[in-house]
Amino acid sequence: MSDKLRLPVEETYAAELAALKASDDGAKPVGWAMSPQSVVTYLLGGKAKDGTEISAKYVGKRRLIETAVATLATDRALLLLGVPGTAKSWVSEHIAAAVSGDSTMVIQCTAGTDENQVRYSWNYAELLAKGPSREALVPTPLFRAMEMGKTCRLEELTRMGSDVQDTLITVLSEKMLPIPELNDAVYASRGFNVIATANDRDKGVNDLSAALKRRFNVVVLPLPDDMDEEIAIVTKRVGEMADTLALPAPKNVQQEVARVLSIFRELRQGETLDGKTTLKSPSSTLSTAEAIAVMVGGLSHATFFAKGDLSAEGLGPTVLGAIVKDPVQDKAILEEYLETVLKSRRDYSDYYSVLTELL
Amino acid sequence: MVADVTYLGIRHHGPGSARRVVEALDALQPVEVLIEGPIDLSDQLPLLADDAMLPPVAQLAYPKDAPHQAFFWPFAVFSPEYQAVKWALAADVAVRYIDLPVAWRLPDAEAEAETTSIIDQEAYREPPQDDMPGQNIRQDPIGALAHAAGYEDGESWWRDVIEENPDPGPVFAAVTDAMTALREQEGGLDRIEAAREAHMRLEIAKSAKTAEGPIAVVCGAFHVPALKAKHTAKDDRALLKGAPKVKIMATWAPWTSPRLAFTSGYGAGVAAPGWCKHLWENPGSDQASIWVARIARTLRKEGQVVSTASLIETERLAKTLAAVRGRPRPGFEELRDATISCLCYGDPILWHLIESKLILGNEVGCIPENVPAAPLLEDLQKQQKKARLKPEALERDLSLDLRTESGLFRSTLLHRLLALNVPWGKLADAGRSRGTFREKWKLQWQPEFAVQLVENLVYGTSIENAASGRLTANLSEAQTLPALADLVFAALTAQLPLAAQSGIDRLGERAAQTNDCRELLGSLRPMVDIIRYGKARKTDTAKFGTLFERIATQGAVQLHYAARNLDAEASRAFSKILADADGAIRLADMNADLTDTWVSALRKVTYDEQAARLVMGSASRLLYQAEAMSPEAATLLLERMLSPGTAVADAAAFFEGFFEGAGQRLLYDEALRDCVNDWLVSLDDDTFMEHLPLFRRVLSALDKTEKKRLLDVLFGRRSSGTGRVLSEHADALWPDHFEALKEILIKGARNG
Repeated sequence: MSDKLRLPVEETYAAELAALKASDDGAKPVGWAMSPQSVVTYLLGGKAKDGTEISAKYVGKRRLIETAVATLATDRALLLLGVPGTAKSWVSEHIAAAVSGDSTMVIQCTAGTDENQVRYSWNYAELLAKGPSREALVPTPLFRAMEMGKTCRLEELTRMGSDVQDTLITVLSEKMLPIPELNDAVYASRGFNVIATANDRDKGVNDLSAALKRRFNVVVLPLPDDMDEEIAIVTKRVGEMADTLALPAPKNVQQEVARVLSIFRELRQGETLDGKTTLKSPSSTLSTAEAIAVMVGGLSHATFFAKGDLSAEGLGPTVLGAIVKDPVQDKAILEEYLETVLKSRRDYSDYYSVLTELL
Repeated sequence: MVADVTYLGIRHHGPGSARRVVEALDALQPVEVLIEGPIDLSDQLPLLADDAMLPPVAQLAYPKDAPHQAFFWPFAVFSPEYQAVKWALAADVAVRYIDLPVAWRLPDAEAEAETTSIIDQEAYREPPQDDMPGQNIRQDPIGALAHAAGYEDGESWWRDVIEENPDPGPVFAAVTDAMTALREQEGGLDRIEAAREAHMRLEIAKSAKTAEGPIAVVCGAFHVPALKAKHTAKDDRALLKGAPKVKIMATWAPWTSPRLAFTSGYGAGVAAPGWCKHLWENPGSDQASIWVARIARTLRKEGQVVSTASLIETERLAKTLAAVRGRPRPGFEELRDATISCLCYGDPILWHLIESKLILGNEVGCIPENVPAAPLLEDLQKQQKKARLKPEALERDLSLDLRTESGLFRSTLLHRLLALNVPWGKLADAGRSRGTFREKWKLQWQPEFAVQLVENLVYGTSIENAASGRLTANLSEAQTLPALADLVFAALTAQLPLAAQSGIDRLGERAAQTNDCRELLGSLRPMVDIIRYGKARKTDTAKFGTLFERIATQGAVQLHYAARNLDAEASRAFSKILADADGAIRLADMNADLTDTWVSALRKVTYDEQAARLVMGSASRLLYQAEAMSPEAATLLLERMLSPGTAVADAAAFFEGFFEGAGQRLLYDEALRDCVNDWLVSLDDDTFMEHLPLFRRVLSALDKTEKKRLLDVLFGRRSSGTGRVLSEHADALWPDHFEALKEILIKGARNG
């Protein structure tokens, strides 16, 4: 047992990867650790040819994973898009582990990421002592991936500034990173590719420039289709977080999760659960992750201010906060939803009155 | 001598098999071509040779006395049957159908509900995407096999497995083998299916006896093993006993490519006619490239920017996907997934936007003029007889009482014809008198109406079905709520519940999508007409009431946002909509809840500082009229709005909104009058002149006496109604007068 909190996935799932590699008889693209078919099996679960059971890393549509893997095989870069909590980073990490056997070449993109963290930076002591040279150059994960022919991961691509993002254009189209200071360039070895993840619904992110966008093939990872599955995910995660925060969980957690989630899902999908009425969707994401946050907030409120009583009054303000991100539009949409849908549902009357009052 | 019989087992509407059929016929040079199709429609086949006959067309047959029970056998250009007939006609070779006569398909009592209504109800619905393979194994066995192999598209499977099969050997033999294996697992056939195969066997035997050369049989692949199997003619004849005897009429009708997508006739609908046509037209190796180019063109038409480089990437990704999935070349699914990823930036919504245009297409077929008379005309003649209305070229009036059976029947017929763009009757008072039980029509028949009527054949074979189909089609194109509401109204007056229902569904959807308060409120007026009219027409409008309530509520919620930032013209239009909507809501007389919501929405506008002043004025007038605002509150509001602190333009706009068409108010309400008076007096000359047209407009609603009375009250001349004026010193004079009168009266009494 390692004393690390979490190991890279290629170590955690080393046995599965080894079994797949050993029994792989499909054609391997140059620089790949296994055939694309085996990568798909690794992600979606199944059996290796020697009978080893492969666990499912991603539960969802097969098409999407096939498209993602095929994209990497065409040497095009892959962009995984989706709202928070749709397993983008998880999928990207596993694909990198399966394709290159190494998921650790990551650049975490933030508003503070500059070009030096994407291309290369300098060891200034060396630079001053010897002048510009390869020895004075400090490579980034992207730089190393190009040299080694591995997969580089860019997390939350759209959080870094647009001008910095555009550094990638040459890398993606010409597979080459110029080093003008040395009148040199790094030419990517076969097997190099980029998997980026980005969030398509948050506000305040830097949109991809058209030039960069068309250098990616995009796969959108959707939110869970199935309501019961989502309720189970939220209840489980809320339970875990309540444990970590030492919050006692009241009995009606699951019941409230179901009610909050049905409000979230109806607004998110733009129709009532019975499919009879179409609705407008607010600008907010209303993802599974947000439902979890709302429930944990409600639990904390219940513990400290409501004698452990989890109720619509306690959850109302956080639910409202999750739905209304744009004070004018979203408010109107929520108002419309309350008046046309929730008002007539007797078992939601407490949410109706709390939310109406808060609006 | 018994001729050689070659069986060409095909996939109905499969471009792959169509191509193979033509090749096989070329190689075989048969003397007779036999095709799976009702034998009594054979004499219609030569019409396909006509140059004016352009697929998609459908052969249609119906019992003479029941045109609504029609059957269609649609042909697309890529249908193997169509290609076989064309081949035979071009080569001057005998061609005929060999399946059971149409009459066999007529519904017994149990199947009454199905038949044509399927076509008309389902016509504009999405085809089922994920059919269980078992369900349609008989109709489309190749599709079922493809499903089982993990393909969504039967054509791609056919190409990958049947045509690309590395094993040498004719395609048709391979298909027959597959079907033989498939049929071994299938249970027995029902009676009709068994009778069909028996009939085909007998007909083939009959041809084989007389023919002097090879014979080709083109039929669904599923039937081939059974047709080849040995059966005695005696057994087969036994199966054919009890043939129904019904007089059948047959003709051709133009068809549309979206309608090809639905099950009818052969029972094998095409999931993606657009894709099939593409496959038929582009057999070469650049098939994928051409399809990607078509996708790009469609996307560009939708306003998307699609670069050529992205197209190259799309095709590359599709090819790699095919490799990952272990298929020899990219098919429909690979191209779709690649398009979503490369051209739509992963967004399936963008794909859905173009999907129906691409895969359904929008082709309409043509039929030559010399085809037999259409069932619609026959139906019209029958209905005219029943309604006792003769088509006359001279205009005449017709007044109908909708409470009588015959009145309602006639009105329904005329409304349906209107929906079919055959304006035989024009509604004379098409205005607002819809709540009444009377309709006045002007009837005049024009010869070209017959042609216009026949054009509707594509929507259905009886007046009712066609009208319903056409309205449904219009509904699916209409974009705004008021337009939809008008169409629903047309459907209700024409007694077409299916179309009305689909319209109501569309209204609900559209109401959810739209943010436009004007659109929402604008639809209330036609909707309230529908509700009221529905009562007169014995139509169930309960559901509609719920929808009305919902749209009204939505409109009310949006109201105060919509009332902001409007220029003069927009606010004038908006206040008219507001008044109409208010009228509609009061007329509909729903529950108190709705009225409350509406009143509080109006109040929000009234007290919203950012609202356009004209709209604000209208809203407060509506409140005042509905007695939801007390006279004191109204006076206070008017005082505030017309006070010197407010810009004159704003004040004038409010004034206009409040008094537009309601100038009489000034006669009776002293407090309001005083406010207005003070304001007018406070205006300087220039401003007054500037707004003079406005004041004129507001006061123009008053007639002469009213104007005079207004002047009188303003200048303190109290009118007694007889034109005489009460003296100012009446109080002081009255005691003397009274005394004098009393004296006269007492004197008179004594004398009397």
